[in-house]
Amino acid sequence: MKKIFPHPPRESNPTLWRSLEEREGSASFTEGLGREFSDAAAGRDQDGLSRRDFVRLMGAATALTGVGLTGCRRPEAHLVPFAKSAEWTVPGKFLYYASAMPTPTGAIPVIVTTSDGRPTKIEGNPLHPLSNGSTDAFAQASVLNLYDPQRPREITHDSLKVGRGDLDNLLAKIRATAGANGGEGLAILVGREHSPTVERFRTALTQQFPKILWVQDEAIAPNDAAFDTLLGAGVRPAYDFNKADVILSIGSDFLNPADAGFGFANGFAKRRDPNASMNKESMNRLYVAENHFSITGGMADHRIRARASELGDFAAAVAKAVAAKTGDANLKALVATAKTGTVSFDPAWINGVADDLIAAKGKGIVIAGSGLPVSVQALAFGINAALGNLGATVTARQTSAKTIASLADLSAAMKAGAVQTLLILGGNPVHTAPVDLDFPNLLARVPETLHLSLFTDETSKVTHWQVPAAHYLESWGDARSLDGTVCAVQPMILPLWNGLSTIEILAALAGEKVDGPSAVRATFASYSKDPSDAAWNTFLKNGFAAGSAFPAATPSLNQTAAVSAVQSGSVANDGFEAVFLRSSSVDDGRYANNSWLQETPDFVTKLVWDNAVLVSPADAKALGIEDGGWLKLTAGGSSLEAAALIAPGHADKSLSIALGYGRKGLSHVMEKVGFDAYPLRDSSALCFRSGVKVERLPKDYYVFARTQEHENMEGRNIAREGTLEQFKEEPGFAAEMDGELTPPKSLYPTPSYDQGLQWGMSIDLNSCIGCNACLVACRSENNVPVVGKSQVLKGRDMAWIRIDRWFASADHKEENLEMIPMAVMCQQCEIAPCEAVCPANATVHSEEGLNLMAYNRCIGTRYCANNCPWKVRRFNWFDYNERPLDELYFGPLAHKGMADSLKMSKNPNVTVRMRGVMEKCTFCIQRIEEAKIGRSVAAGASDVEKTLLPAFKTACQQACPSESIVFGNINDPKSRVSKAKADPRTYSSLAYLNTRPRVSYMARVRNPNPAMPGASLVGAANRGEHA
Amino acid sequence: MSASTSNETVTPDLSAIARPPQVLNNRGPLWVTDAVCSIVEGKTPLWWYAAISISGTFAAIGGACILYMIITGVGVWGSNSPAFWAWDITNFIFWVSMAHAGSFISAVLFLTRQRWSLSVSRAAEAMTVFAIVCAGVYPAIHIGRVWFVWFLFPVPNNYGMWPNFSSPLLWDVFAVTSYLTVSSLFWFAGMIPDLAVLRDRATTKIRKFCYGVASLGWLGTARQWRHYESMYVVLAGLTSVLVVTVTTIVASDCATSVIPGWHATIFPFYFMVGAVYSGCATVLTLLIPLRALYPQLKDLITPAQLEKVAMLLLMMASCVGYVYVYELFCAWYSGNAFERGAFWERFHGTAAWYAITCLSINLTIPQLFWFKRVRTCLPLVFVLAILCNVGMWFERFMIVTTSLLHDFLPSAWGNFHPSIVDILTATGTLGIFFTLFLLFIRFVPIMSMNELKAVLPGTQPQHGEGH
Repeated sequence: MKKIFPHPPRESNPTLWRSLEEREGSASFTEGLGREFSDAAAGRDQDGLSRRDFVRLMGAATALTGVGLTGCRRPEAHLVPFAKSAEWTVPGKFLYYASAMPTPTGAIPVIVTTSDGRPTKIEGNPLHPLSNGSTDAFAQASVLNLYDPQRPREITHDSLKVGRGDLDNLLAKIRATAGANGGEGLAILVGREHSPTVERFRTALTQQFPKILWVQDEAIAPNDAAFDTLLGAGVRPAYDFNKADVILSIGSDFLNPADAGFGFANGFAKRRDPNASMNKESMNRLYVAENHFSITGGMADHRIRARASELGDFAAAVAKAVAAKTGDANLKALVATAKTGTVSFDPAWINGVADDLIAAKGKGIVIAGSGLPVSVQALAFGINAALGNLGATVTARQTSAKTIASLADLSAAMKAGAVQTLLILGGNPVHTAPVDLDFPNLLARVPETLHLSLFTDETSKVTHWQVPAAHYLESWGDARSLDGTVCAVQPMILPLWNGLSTIEILAALAGEKVDGPSAVRATFASYSKDPSDAAWNTFLKNGFAAGSAFPAATPSLNQTAAVSAVQSGSVANDGFEAVFLRSSSVDDGRYANNSWLQETPDFVTKLVWDNAVLVSPADAKALGIEDGGWLKLTAGGSSLEAAALIAPGHADKSLSIALGYGRKGLSHVMEKVGFDAYPLRDSSALCFRSGVKVERLPKDYYVFARTQEHENMEGRNIAREGTLEQFKEEPGFAAEMDGELTPPKSLYPTPSYDQGLQWGMSIDLNSCIGCNACLVACRSENNVPVVGKSQVLKGRDMAWIRIDRWFASADHKEENLEMIPMAVMCQQCEIAPCEAVCPANATVHSEEGLNLMAYNRCIGTRYCANNCPWKVRRFNWFDYNERPLDELYFGPLAHKGMADSLKMSKNPNVTVRMRGVMEKCTFCIQRIEEAKIGRSVAAGASDVEKTLLPAFKTACQQACPSESIVFGNINDPKSRVSKAKADPRTYSSLAYLNTRPRVSYMARVRNPNPAMPGASLVGAANRGEHA
Repeated sequence: MSASTSNETVTPDLSAIARPPQVLNNRGPLWVTDAVCSIVEGKTPLWWYAAISISGTFAAIGGACILYMIITGVGVWGSNSPAFWAWDITNFIFWVSMAHAGSFISAVLFLTRQRWSLSVSRAAEAMTVFAIVCAGVYPAIHIGRVWFVWFLFPVPNNYGMWPNFSSPLLWDVFAVTSYLTVSSLFWFAGMIPDLAVLRDRATTKIRKFCYGVASLGWLGTARQWRHYESMYVVLAGLTSVLVVTVTTIVASDCATSVIPGWHATIFPFYFMVGAVYSGCATVLTLLIPLRALYPQLKDLITPAQLEKVAMLLLMMASCVGYVYVYELFCAWYSGNAFERGAFWERFHGTAAWYAITCLSINLTIPQLFWFKRVRTCLPLVFVLAILCNVGMWFERFMIVTTSLLHDFLPSAWGNFHPSIVDILTATGTLGIFFTLFLLFIRFVPIMSMNELKAVLPGTQPQHGEGH
C-alpha cells in the first residue's frame, strides 16, 4: 500500500542542499526520498494496529455494512477508503444491523449498533419471538472480546508465524489425505454448535470422508443424552413459564440465561405481577431446591437447601408424595425403583410442594438442573407426566436427531493412536476436559493438531497450529436460538486480525469455496421455503428466518427408559461434595480475558476478579475458617487448593466453586485470578463430585475483592418486600414502611418540575432477578472504565449501576434466608444533596429533572459523593482510561494511552472521563438527546412539544430480560413509567431525606404457600431486627 | 545578660489578693529586652540545626508526596468510596482548628485584658499562622484536578465559570483565606515595635536592613503608638470574630450535609471548643520545651501562666466531652435508624478504633488537669498535651471519615486504610509546621517585648498605697 513517489535524479554535487546527508549523498537519504512519510511517521504503532490500518479497517467496515453490499466481501485492495464514504453512512450517525451471538445454549438474537463502521453496542432483537429486546451480560460484554488487544493476530505453526497460504495448504493437504483414506485419522472437535451451516458441513464431510471423527464437546452443557433417552432421540424439552402457576426447580438455575438458554426470565416475570392476581389471575409460585444460592433461588417463594448429590433423593421424595397422592401408576413404578438414601427432607416441605403441584395440575412445571444426571431428570419428567404438565406447560421440540461422538470417544480414539490430525474448532479442551481423560497428554501424541480460537489459551499453547478465530461480529454465520429459529450472524467489520471462522475452515475441508456469505446463503437455500434474494435480504434485515423453529414434538416420557434411568441413580453419601458452577463472570472460562466481565460482580457473592470455594456458614465454623481461608479439596487423584468464601444459604457438607478461573501464563488479565477447579472434574462427575476430602490449609488468608461486603439491611427498609396476602390487604404496604420517617415538608420553595419532559425510572424488585445484564450494558454504553482487583479492593469500582444483594431472614436461620437484589444507580433527586455542595457548579439540575454532571467543570472535590446518601457517584482516582491498570501508581512514568482497538470500542456519544473528575449515571442522556433531536426534526414547523418523542430506552432498561426497569417521561400520565410509579407497590428509597428521587422502586411480593413450613417467615425481609 | 539594674520601687507586703507577677524575679524592662533579643542575636544553638534538618526533611518528603499525588492522581491516597474524604480533610480540620487557640489566646484574651496571656500570645499567634499554612495545603491539593483550582474563586472569565455560593466548600475558601490574611496581619502588627528593637540593636548591616524593612520605619513616637494601639485593637476584634466564624464555616462542611454523623446543629460549637482545646494543647507542647531550651525565658513564661493555659484546656476538653455525650444522646433520642446506626457503627464498625482512641483520650487525659499537681508538673503537662492533640486528630478522623464509612445503605459501607503517601503527607505538614516555627524562634522576637514591659511592676500607674 505504500506509495512510492518518483523523484528527479539528484545532482552529484548540489549547490543547494537540505541536509548534510543530501550533500554527501548518503544511502539513507536517497532511500528516504521516495517515501511519502518518514519511518517515524509511518510506523507509530505499538500494538499492531496503526493509524493507517485503522482507517483502512474503518473504510472496509463501512463498505461492508448495509444489506445491499453485505455480499461484497471483496479483497482488501479494492476497498473504498473511508475518505470517500459510502452513501448510506453519515459520519457520527449510528447504523443498526441484526445479527446473533452464538452461545452453547443457542443464539442470542441481537441488534448491533455500529458507529462509523465499528460495532460498539449490542442490544436484543425485539423482532425475534424469544427475545423481548433484551440481552444477557455476556452478550453485552462480547463487544470487548472483539476489540481485545490481546487477541492473537497471526497464524502460527510450531510457534513460528506463517501465512494464510500455509494454512490453506495444510487444509488442502488434509482434504487430499482424507479423500484418499476416507477420513481415517481425521478428527474435528467443535463446541455445542447450533449453526445449520456447520451442521451442513458436518453432513458433507461425513459423506465425503466416512471415517472422519466428528466430536462435539462443551465444558458445561445440558445433559442432552438424558433427553434423548427419556423423551426420544433429538427431542428437547421446552418450558412455558408464561403458563405455569407452580414451579419446582430441582437445582435448576433457569432464570440465568447462560445456563438454561435465553428467554425464560421474561415469561417467568410476566407471571410475577401481583396486580394480575387481583384480577383472579394467579401469581406464580416458585419452589427451589439447590445447594447454593442461584439467582433462581433468590426469586424463590420457598427454598430448601439440598446438596447437589441429594437432589435425586429430593426428587424421589417429591415424586413419591405425588405418586401417593395421585395414585399415578407410572410414577409409582418409577419411584419404586429409586434408591433411597439416608437423607431425609422435612415431610411437611415435601408434602406441601406435592399438594401445590397437584392442585396446579397441568399448570405446573418441575424442572431439574440441565446438567443433572439422567436419574434426576427422569423423576422430574415423571412428576410432570403424572400431573399432566407434559404437553401443557412442558412441551418439546424435535431437533435433528444425531449421534455425535463425545470427548470421551475422541480420547479413546487418541489413546488407540487412531487420530492423526485433530482440528479443534471450538472450546479449550486442554483446560476443560475431565481429568480422567488425560486429554493434554493424548493431544501431545497426535501428529498434527490445529486450534482455532479467539484467544491464546491452554489448548492453543500445545497444538501445532494456532489459528486466530474471527469474532462473531466479524464473520458470516448462522445459529439457531433455543427454539430452533435460525438467526443470521453478520459481520459488522472485517476481521481485525485476520481471524477465520469455523465455517471457513470447514468449507475448505469440504472443498467448498467460500465467498462472503455464500456458505450461509447456501444453507439458507436448503432450509428456507423461499430461497430468493428478497427472502435472504429479509433474513438479514430481521436477523432471523421466521418459521424456521424446530417443529413441536409430543413430549412423552419413555417409561422403560425412565425406570432404568432412575435405577442407575446413586445415593448421596455423607462426605463433602464439590459442585462445579458456571461462573456469572467468565462462563466456563471463555470470557476470562474480558475485563468488563471480570469486574462484574458475581450474582450472589459479589466477588470480582476471582472465584472461591463457597462454604456454608456452618461448615466454615466446623472447618475453622473465615472468608479467604485456604482449603484443600481432594477427590480421586487430584486436588485443589483454593480460598473459601462463606456463602449464606449454602447447603452444608457441600462446596461450590465456579469454573474457568485460575488460568496461568496466558495474559495479564487472567493472571492471579481465582482457582482452577477443572482438575477436580472427571467424566462421571461433571456437575458435582461426591466424596471430596476437605482439609484446612494453614496459609495466609487470601484477599477477595467484593463490591458489597455488608449484606444485612440492619433493619433499614431499603429493599422492601411483603407477601401476596399482605399486598391484597394493603397494596400500599411498601410506602407505609416509611413509618415515622415520612418525608417532611420543605421549608424552602422548591422547583416544581412539572413542565415538558420529566424523566423518571421505576425498578420492579419483584421481577428483577439480579442478572447483571444492566450493569454490563451500562458499562458498554457509557464507556465506564475497568479498574482492576486492587482498586476494587480499595472500594474504587466505577460501575454506574450496582446491584445490591440483600440477605434477610426473619428468624436469623439459614433455612429461611431470602435474597433480594436491588439495582442502585443515581437516583436523580429533584432536590439533590450533591448539587448544593459542589463549589464549582459542576453538578446541576436540568429542567427535565436530570441531575447533570459537567465533567469540564468538575475539579474533583468529591464533596458531592460524600453527600450522596446512595453513594452512587464514582470518582476517577487515577487515569483509568489512559494508564495500564498495573501502572496506575507510576504517575507520569506509566505508559500512556489506550490501545487503538479499545478506543474503537468506545461509544462516541459519551465522553471518556479523565482522572480527577466525578461521574455517575446520567439516565443515558445521550439517548435522551438523540430522541429529542429526532422529535424536533420530525416536528418540522409544527409544535415540538406536541410531537411524539421517538421511542427509546436507557441502556440498562433495554438489556433487562425481565423488563423490571421502566424509564420515561413521568409528566405524561400515559407513559409506562407513570403507570409503574402509580402502582401501589411503589416507594422511594430513603424518602425521609426529602431529596425526591426520580428513581422509585416497586416492592417485591412473595407468594408463600401457607401450608409450607416457615411460610410465615417468607417475604419478611423487613420484619427483621431494627438497629 | 544578667543585667540586674533595677528601677523598681519596693513593694510593700503583698496582699493575698495580688495577682501573681507576669515576670518573675522582679526583672526590669532592659532585662526583658535582653532576654528576648538574645535568642535572635545569640549564636545559633546546635539543637536548632538538628531540629530544622529533621523537620525540613519531613517537609521536603511531604512536598514530594504532594507533587507525586498531583501528577499521578488522588488515588495514591487511601481515600475511596465511601471515604471520599479521609486524611486530607481530617488533617485540614485538625490544623485549621489548632490555629484557633492562637487567635483565641492573643485576641480574645487581649480584648478581655487577660494579662497572663501576654507572654504566650506571640508564640500562639505564630502557631496560628503556621497551622493555617499547613491547613491550607490540603484544600488546595486534595482535589482531583488541582490545575483548575481557580474555579473556586469568583474570577470573571470567558468560560462562564462562576462558583456555587451555596456550597460550604466555597465558604471554606473565603473563611480560610480571610483567616490567614487577618491572623498574619495581627501577628505581624504585634511584632512591629519589637522588630524595631531588633533593628536598633543590630550589629550587622544586613540585619539592620532586614529588620529595618520589617519594622516599617517604626520610631516609637507617641503618635505612632496611638495609631498602633487602635489598629491593634481593631485587628484583635476582627480576629476574635474570625475565631468563631471560621470554625463555624468549617463545621458547616459537615453540618449542612445529609450524612448521619455530620448532619447536626451542634457542629459549630463542637468544632469551636475542640479547636481551642487542641490549640491550648499545642501552645503547651511548644512553650514547655522552649522554656527548657532557653533558660532566660523561665522568668517570662511562668508556671502560673502555663497552668492557666492548662485550665483553659481543661474547660474546653470538658465542653468537647459534653458534645460527645450529647451526640450519642441525640442519636438515640432521634429514634432514627440511620442516626442510631451511624453512631453504633462508629464504635463497632470497621474504623471503630479511631473513635475509641479519640474518646478514651479526650474524655480522660484532660480531666487530669483538675489536679494542681498535674497542672504544675511541666514535663507531665508536656506529655499530656501531646496526647490531647493525638486525641483531637483521632476526633477529626472520627467525625470526617467514620461517619462516611457507615451512612445510609449498608451495601455501600466501606473501610479506610491510609497509604504511605497519606502518612508521609501528614508528617510533611508536621514538618512544615515545625520548620516554620523553628525559623520563627530564630529570626523573630518570640515574645511581645513591648507588651511585657508594660506589665512589669512599676511601669503602670499604681493606685493606692500612697501613690
